[in-house]
Amino acid sequence: MEKEELRIGVFVCKCGSNIAGSLDVEGLAEYASTLPNVVYAPWNLYTCADAGLEEIKKGIKEHNLNRVVVASCSPRTHEPLFRSVCGEAGMNPYFFEMVNIRDQCSWVHQDKAQAESSMDKARDLIRMGAAKAALLEPQEIITSEVEVRALVIGGGIAGLTAAISLGNRGFPVILLEKEKELGGMLRSLYRLAPMDLDASEVINAKIKEAEDNPNIEIYTGATIEKVEGFIGKFDITFSANGTSKYVRLGVVIIATGAGNLVPEGMYQYDGDKVITQWELEERFKAGKVDANNVVIIQCVGARSPERRYCSRICCAIGIKNAILIKERNPEAKVHILYRDLMMYGVENEDQLRKAKELGVRFVKYDPERPPVVEENKVTVFHHLMGKELEIPQEMVVLSTPLVGTEDGVKIGNLFRAGLDQNKFFLEAHVKLRPLDCGTDGIFICGSAHYPKDVRESIMQALGAVSRASIPLSQGEVKIEPIVTTLVNKDACRGCGLCVALCPYNALEIRDTDEGRKVNIITVACKGCGVCAATCYRHALSINSFTDYQMEAQIHSFMAA
Amino acid sequence: MQYTTDIRVIRIMCTGRMDPAVMADAFVHGLDGLLVLGCLFGECHYVSGNFNARHKINMTKEMLAYAGMNPGRLSFRNLSSAESELFVKHVTDFSAEIRELGPLGGEADRVPLPKLREKLEIARTALAGPKLRWVVGKKPVFIDTGNKYQEVFTEHEINRTLGGIVVDEMATHSILAALQNKPASVKELAKELEIPAPETLKYVLGLKRRGFLEMESVKDHTPLYKYVEQEG
Repeated sequence: MEKEELRIGVFVCKCGSNIAGSLDVEGLAEYASTLPNVVYAPWNLYTCADAGLEEIKKGIKEHNLNRVVVASCSPRTHEPLFRSVCGEAGMNPYFFEMVNIRDQCSWVHQDKAQAESSMDKARDLIRMGAAKAALLEPQEIITSEVEVRALVIGGGIAGLTAAISLGNRGFPVILLEKEKELGGMLRSLYRLAPMDLDASEVINAKIKEAEDNPNIEIYTGATIEKVEGFIGKFDITFSANGTSKYVRLGVVIIATGAGNLVPEGMYQYDGDKVITQWELEERFKAGKVDANNVVIIQCVGARSPERRYCSRICCAIGIKNAILIKERNPEAKVHILYRDLMMYGVENEDQLRKAKELGVRFVKYDPERPPVVEENKVTVFHHLMGKELEIPQEMVVLSTPLVGTEDGVKIGNLFRAGLDQNKFFLEAHVKLRPLDCGTDGIFICGSAHYPKDVRESIMQALGAVSRASIPLSQGEVKIEPIVTTLVNKDACRGCGLCVALCPYNALEIRDTDEGRKVNIITVACKGCGVCAATCYRHALSINSFTDYQMEAQIHSFMAA
Repeated sequence: MQYTTDIRVIRIMCTGRMDPAVMADAFVHGLDGLLVLGCLFGECHYVSGNFNARHKINMTKEMLAYAGMNPGRLSFRNLSSAESELFVKHVTDFSAEIRELGPLGGEADRVPLPKLREKLEIARTALAGPKLRWVVGKKPVFIDTGNKYQEVFTEHEINRTLGGIVVDEMATHSILAALQNKPASVKELAKELEIPAPETLKYVLGLKRRGFLEMESVKDHTPLYKYVEQEG
């Protein structure tokens, strides 16, 4: 690489009084001009305003700058803007470095006693930024084509909704279901609260809609065997009904659902007189519910040491079924033994009120003193009355949580999509990217993500489709080049240590003319740097976050 | 929200980026304390980066402590990006802890400056070398899925192995550094490096076998060894 003369420009922002209120910005600019390789160091009132941005552009042109440092606010909000302005002025946008003297100095060191040490800190940060800028290298934005086809895994209500919505948008969809029939959990349910709909009617209508959609290819009895690739180019091999098939697709929606906990060994569970809500639903469907004394116990196997989470839909299910029993047989005595009631939303709240009006009895129990199920009666310590109650029973129904499944774990491993300790899929960010997996191009919906009712599953499926449609409709993905690079190909021995640790499947070992070498799938790389920090040959590095750049920042700090 | 001006922030994408050699380099250059702040375990924005970071930071601490530095100078703490108060607590606590320890190479450290810098330099070389990096890199794999023979190891077992390698690596790299200065006998090395003579002999013979050393001359019936320049 030819050695060009370094010409760094440092722009120090006053941000009105945000920075200038407690830092001597003009003094900082003057200090910056004394730093090595810095040829131009003005201050601006607002660097991010039009006038400030013009000054950056003018500075680059007039002073022939080839590195720019802006000392202002947070790169989270302003780095993209300053980068693009540097690009507009003809400089490589990745020759830009940002120093945060607002969030790290002026805002958090306002005490008069800190005035001098806050200035020291700001000077250090600017010096460290300029030291890093001197070592920055040019980067190019990475683009990659997207295969316009989607995969939906799971043919339950979430998966069907997602497939239909994608199909209606004109995207080809492959829908895989592991069971012989579509429908998932809804096939075994009776009526859906709070709208009081027939579960079979709802799911059958969805199945028909999916089957009639010309854009949807449906495979039942399907298993995914192999997954390779990354956003835009996932190469999937799956088998369905004995034949193996390979397909390339752009995005994946995971809707694998959840399983039911079978409460073996709890509350005398036997599947006959003591049953789960799911078994009760089947009895409703068969018209075999005739008990006069019913006791429903909530939180069975949930919010316990082995399963700390709340399954959040079981309260609504328990109350819905209590109402169904009362409506068919007003003489029936129904008790719900609960810990806390999760009846969120207007309609659910109404359901609770309705259940109380119908005469369903609610008894709060203490998990330290759980109810005891015996032949013909349930004994429970009444929290508020402070005494034992004996409730006669002919049928006990246990409300068990939805649980993550082993199938989900398999799918998660295949796609390197993270799961939590309860085997539910993890979103990339709870608030900012709630429908995306950590790995690009993979989206989640339905109870695979967390226990959800039908409405929530549908809403989330539609949301996931919106997210998945972005790369499908754009036809390409653009990726920030802050990714790993093989900086020393000769050093790489192809050991594969980095491949094993990469959380994004972004590395692979390939046989080349020079032997086994690592190949980087830049589109899949997120730039976390685990590989570079691990490589014992120091063959890998992260663009704009190299060892040398980090060390230069520290050395420059210590050189004060 | 106000806090101490003692800290300087260096941005990295993920704590998984923390390279053991870079951390050691910071102390070689005289840093008094290095605090690595990352996501909560299980909530890593990069899936598993902070678990990898924890392994590497623990190993680096052990190495630097063995080199004579107070391990309290390097710390890994966790918080979510929404927990500003916790951030303030972490930097305030750490700043107080480092003030308590005083400047690097002072009373809080087992070895004083300038000897400490020499030892830290050797530690950095070892942390940049293949042995420790290989084992710490394999650690999550060995704990999670096991080795090629499906033998799964406990974290304790791997840590014991790493502890042994720390001792070996410090010794071998100290010997190499000493011999790069001038040829010496095993006895002289043992005295200078404060490693028992039989151990020193074992290391020297190992290094000789691997081509890092060769015999230079024999003085008073005692062989003197010298360093062999390495290629690539």
